Amino acid sequence: MMDDLLVQSVLVQWRVNGKLHEIEAMPGMSLLDAVREQLGLTGTHMGCQTGHCGACTVMLDGRIVKSCLTQAATLPRAEIVTIEGLKRADGTLNPVQQAFWDEAGFQCGYCAPGMLLSAMELLAEHPDPTDAQIDTGLAGNLCRCTGYRSLVRAVKAAAAKMRETS
Amino acid sequence: MSLYPSFARPNSLAQASELLAGLSGGSVIIAGGQEIMPHINHGAMQPDIYIDIGGLKELRGISEADGVVSIGALTVHRELQGNAIVAEKLPMLADAASRAGGGRQVHNRATLGGNLVAMHPLYDIAPALLALGAEVELVKAGETRRTSLAALMHETSHGLGSEAILVRVLVPAMAAGTGWAYEKLKLSGGAYGSANAAATVQLDAGRITAATLTIGAVADRIIDAAAAVQGLIGQAWTAAAAEQLELRCPALVKQPLSDQQGSGEWRQAMAGVVARRAMAAAVARAGQK
Ligand SMILES: Cc1cc2nc3c(=O)[nH]c(=O)nc-3n(C[C@H](O)[C@H](O)[C@H](O)COP(=O)(O)OP(=O)(O)OC[C@H]3O[C@@H](n4cnc5c(N)ncnc54)[C@H](O)[C@@H]3O)c2cc1C
Repeated sequence: MMDDLLVQSVLVQWRVNGKLHEIEAMPGMSLLDAVREQLGLTGTHMGCQTGHCGACTVMLDGRIVKSCLTQAATLPRAEIVTIEGLKRADGTLNPVQQAFWDEAGFQCGYCAPGMLLSAMELLAEHPDPTDAQIDTGLAGNLCRCTGYRSLVRAVKAAAAKMRETS
Repeated sequence: MSLYPSFARPNSLAQASELLAGLSGGSVIIAGGQEIMPHINHGAMQPDIYIDIGGLKELRGISEADGVVSIGALTVHRELQGNAIVAEKLPMLADAASRAGGGRQVHNRATLGGNLVAMHPLYDIAPALLALGAEVELVKAGETRRTSLAALMHETSHGLGSEAILVRVLVPAMAAGTGWAYEKLKLSGGAYGSANAAATVQLDAGRITAATLTIGAVADRIIDAAAAVQGLIGQAWTAAAAEQLELRCPALVKQPLSDQQGSGEWRQAMAGVVARRAMAAAVARAGQK
């Protein structure tokens, strides 16, 4: 019977920030809720739950996604990086985090997880981004403090630093 | 029946189709989730059964054969923007996909199939595909059927999303030298356009020999503006031709949308403006490699 395919929870296996987890994902539950409530990683923020604000951004299999728009049960196996996983092995800030710190890219900090991950994906593809590329790269994130200029400055500073050291 | 929803992840198209047929309509297909998750998060949608189609290989990949580009329904916007076949044979589709809002995060997960099945008047991909004469392949209760996207958008009982699966989108490769443009007129930095237009054009010695034009975001359905471009055939693209086109389009908008994107009257006028801009840009691009 085809009905055998229907289950009431899915046992998913994820490597989150390098650590393996096996969790029960209830149908309908978002990746955001799984990360915050089941894994206790509350650095990923809940904002609008409609996909517009970007505060819930995480990296899924190497690409940034909005975790509120991603259903946990649809990810039987996944590699996930949250903001908790960005620091370097020695515990210091990575170059993008450091640049955000130096350039006042953090104001209230609510949008920070999304801004950082978006900046990282952008810089991985465009090591020397133009202003237009930075705008598009951060377009999926809203900053309620409207600190966009410092965010753009931070991305440029991070880019310069990363080019210098690579 | 449990109070909790059920979930299934079939691993072949045949299995998914059989499963959906047996459930007779009570289920919701989920692909990237970008469309349905906001409704689920806010409790506005509470499906009893989710069918996750992410495991269906038949819905993946982009290939070209005999002048037709076949694109799997699970292809995400990001792939449409970066795929070499799409870039070469369907540049207008790549461009329209890049104009969608939501940022990179959404582009990384939003599927072509989900975008089309949503049939949202403000979305960007359908106008481009309609101007390119796309067809779609659907499977319902084990039966495969192929139809034009234009016809599908007027069907009321296609069952997509609950009983039927959109498998692939089939688009004739754009002929060499075809001019094209996708115009999205936005009021603000938000995601959606107030009027969108997709145009293709072919020129011969400065005269228009063929043209297609669709206009989106101004009515609840995307408008095929073939009637408005008819008068351009055989003519050169002059200031007078451009003005004629701009004046003809508003009449095609019978019941304009009036929403956050602007008032109905203005949208009707903008239908002409984006049409003219799209055609002008398409003409400028025609014949170039
Ligand atoms: C913040 C934001 C901004 C956006 N801005 C734009 C924009 O400016 N322009 C634009 O064009 N789009 C925009 N979108 C829409 C986005 O492109 C679509 O939501 C997305 O493509 C839907 O695909 P999905 O796979 O995530 O859909 P899902 O949510 O998984 O599914 C959507 C619907 O389609 C059905 N479905 C999905 N795949 C299939 C299939 N293969 N066969 C049958 N039924 C299927 C589902 O049952 C559901 O009804 C935006 C989205 C967000 C979140």
